[in-house]
Amino acid sequence: MKFIVCVKQVPGSNEVRLDPETHAIIRDAHAAVINPLDYVALDCAVKLKRRNGGEIIALSMGIPATERLLRDACARGADRAMLLTDRAFAGSDTLATSYALSLGIEKEGSCDLILCGKNAIDGDTAQIGPELAATLGYNLITDVTEVIDIDKKFITAVKTTDSGSETVKAALPAVITLLNGREMPALPTVSGVRYSLEAPVDKYTAAELGADTSRTGFAGSPTSVVKTFVSENTRECRDMGLDAAAAAAFLIDEIRKAGGAQ
Amino acid sequence: MKSEIRPIDESLSEFLRDESRSTGSADTISFPTSEEEIRETVKSEYSQGHRITVQGGRTGLAAAAVPNGGHVLNLSRMNKILGMRQENGVFYVTVEPGTVLSELKKALSSKKIPTAAFDAQSMEAYRAFCASPLQQFPPDPTESSATIGGMTACNASGARSYHYGATRNWVEGLRLVLSDGDVLLLKRGQTFADGKKLTLTSVGGRTITVDLPSHTMPKTKNASGYFTADNMDAVDLIIGSDGTLGVLSAIELRLCPEPEIMWGLTCFFGSEDSAARFVDLTRRAIGNLASLEYFDCGALTLLRRQKEQTTAFARLEKIPEDADCAVYTEIHCQNEDEAYRSLFTVGDIMRQCGADESKTWVARTAQDRDRLYFFRHATPESVNMTIDKRKKETPGLTKLGSDMSVPDEALVRVLHMYNEDLQAAGLEYVKFGHIGNNHLHVNILPRNMEDYKAGKAIFKKWAEEITKMGGAVSAEHGVGKLKAAFLEVMYGHEGIAAMARIKRSFDPAGLFGTGNLFNPADFE
Ligand SMILES: Cc1cc2nc3c(=O)[nH]c(=O)nc-3n(C[C@H](O)[C@H](O)[C@H](O)COP(=O)(O)OP(=O)(O)OC[C@H]3O[C@@H](n4cnc5c(N)ncnc54)[C@H](O)[C@@H]3O)c2cc1C
Repeated sequence: MKFIVCVKQVPGSNEVRLDPETHAIIRDAHAAVINPLDYVALDCAVKLKRRNGGEIIALSMGIPATERLLRDACARGADRAMLLTDRAFAGSDTLATSYALSLGIEKEGSCDLILCGKNAIDGDTAQIGPELAATLGYNLITDVTEVIDIDKKFITAVKTTDSGSETVKAALPAVITLLNGREMPALPTVSGVRYSLEAPVDKYTAAELGADTSRTGFAGSPTSVVKTFVSENTRECRDMGLDAAAAAAFLIDEIRKAGGAQ
Repeated sequence: MKSEIRPIDESLSEFLRDESRSTGSADTISFPTSEEEIRETVKSEYSQGHRITVQGGRTGLAAAAVPNGGHVLNLSRMNKILGMRQENGVFYVTVEPGTVLSELKKALSSKKIPTAAFDAQSMEAYRAFCASPLQQFPPDPTESSATIGGMTACNASGARSYHYGATRNWVEGLRLVLSDGDVLLLKRGQTFADGKKLTLTSVGGRTITVDLPSHTMPKTKNASGYFTADNMDAVDLIIGSDGTLGVLSAIELRLCPEPEIMWGLTCFFGSEDSAARFVDLTRRAIGNLASLEYFDCGALTLLRRQKEQTTAFARLEKIPEDADCAVYTEIHCQNEDEAYRSLFTVGDIMRQCGADESKTWVARTAQDRDRLYFFRHATPESVNMTIDKRKKETPGLTKLGSDMSVPDEALVRVLHMYNEDLQAAGLEYVKFGHIGNNHLHVNILPRNMEDYKAGKAIFKKWAEEITKMGGAVSAEHGVGKLKAAFLEVMYGHEGIAAMARIKRSFDPAGLFGTGNLFNPADFE
């Protein structure tokens, strides 16, 4: 079976830094990591491959330095990687990104299962998986916490819903988006790291993918970001110097004033 | 001004304990907020003949901060960063003793230091610090709620001490409040002993003469009693003195640049002998390892059980089924090529020792490293949780934890000794910790009071054996109250008497940290 795992480069620290002029997120190549839920997707693919055999390809659209992270994906179990990198892709929103990724997937020819993290911790849209499925015309299962079974024709997976969980069976090819499961994704191994330095990482430009450039980058992105800013934390800590009873009375009063429970 | 002296009641009973899980007694407690308050409080309590136990974060494992009557001087409210300086490209930071290690680390790594109290020199150094590559204070005693005062008082170490050394290496100067409220200011490189004779002058102009003990310190990692060496720096006497000479009111620390690359690696072995061989070969072959940490069979069994049974530990890494024991190591260097070379050399050596490269955990990002730190920290935490559970049935039980180190060539011998003695006594135990320094923590998990007594007897015997091997009875946690009896085994009667003379010249009435290092009766 062929598994494609989409991975995104995100900032390595919780503190997102914005360029004061352009308001774009500053991406420091060294501190960048793979989006945490994409590790979960990769780990899921590694387990499915262990059960069913096959090949895992890590796929990313990004700056050339993303190669480092794709090699990290290979250290964690991907067999090889594809990097879609071109100035034409700069400024892509989720629609343009999923279009570019879909071209990468088509370049691969056939594919059984595409795995994505549910959302990326920086943009937080959770749109790429669903948009990919729509663009490619594949089935989609979102919010997956566990894949129960996969064979040549079907995948059966448990997904989280607002009211609990559902077990869903879908025909392949399909896209699934993953949430954290019970286990942490496995860490790389020394043999994995050795392999990753030699693993094939194929790079493609927009032209090589046959992209319609009106659908990529800024041109292909209907989303326009009006303003980005780091929200200010205005909470403050006050020592009221009250004993337990007075503190409770004070809190009740404050909650009432704020329109809370009566 | 003196800080408020409060009687110890039920609501303050937590201040009678530390992480050794033993409980003491005291009449009163204060929480000074400045050196002046420490001075006034010490002067008044001391002149009334009250014993004074100093407390930092109470994370100590040797009951050193557990009071033995009298007054508790708790420094947790003295947690400000006082200033910075830069000299020859090196940064120094001065902190109050109650500064918590994790807070200092956060301030350094985010480069956000509250500067309200800084003078012009400090501000200039701070600006240079902000413009420089990240700086670190390397000592890392696992429990990051420890305070800098506590770490200095017991010369704490930790995993990275294999490369960076103990807290001692990073303390550049200090202020010590003396029994009469006077202050001793010491800076590294300024006051040295003349042979074994040390003459100190306090800020108030008082002279203190000290005859240093004649014994030689072991060459291994060591935190056993007062430091002594010919022509030694006076700062080194105060570091590791376990709250028995006075109260540290400020400490200046040296910083160093954080390495560009820090990669963690855990590997698994089928037997302890293979792990020991691996340690021996790697420490000869590779110079840029910051730590070499061990988890024995008992530790892995305990962690496997914790993962299954305790929600808080459900996210622990899954340990390979055929693993008997594990070694964690951390590569620190300035570029990736060097890091890869070291990683693969470690890989070659581990294969030579029978380990499987495909069953390893490599952490090349901060996030992954945190997972391996969590695993490391889970070991002592799990031991403590197990003991707490058993304590409910047998209240007299406490953990029995050893902290002994030996020279390189004695590593295998000491491992065999541990296993043979513990197995012969039928005790449950885990061994973990700083195998790179031949310094393991053997934690006995007693099931009843018989186990507890048997364990204590074994530790006593080990103190003798380890002394014969040229080792130290306390390598990093300090001697405190729990290991005071071992000191005599290590230094003999005369050694202890010489140390008691040092204490008397600082603390004539024997009121500071009573029960630490010395048996109070012996001292009197
Ligand atoms: C889970 C766990 C793991 C640990 N692992 C390690 C480890 O790997 N390596 C290691 O070295 N330690 C380790 N420790 C022990 C502990 O964290 C350290 O020993 C720590 O340095 C003690 O600091 P503290 O602030 O808690 O001191 P406290 O426990 O409050 O006090 C310790 C001693 O210092 C004295 N003291 C404190 N402040 C002052 C002061 N201002 N002036 C004079 N004397 C003072 C006290 O009187 C006492 O004698 C571990 C502890 C735990 C709980």
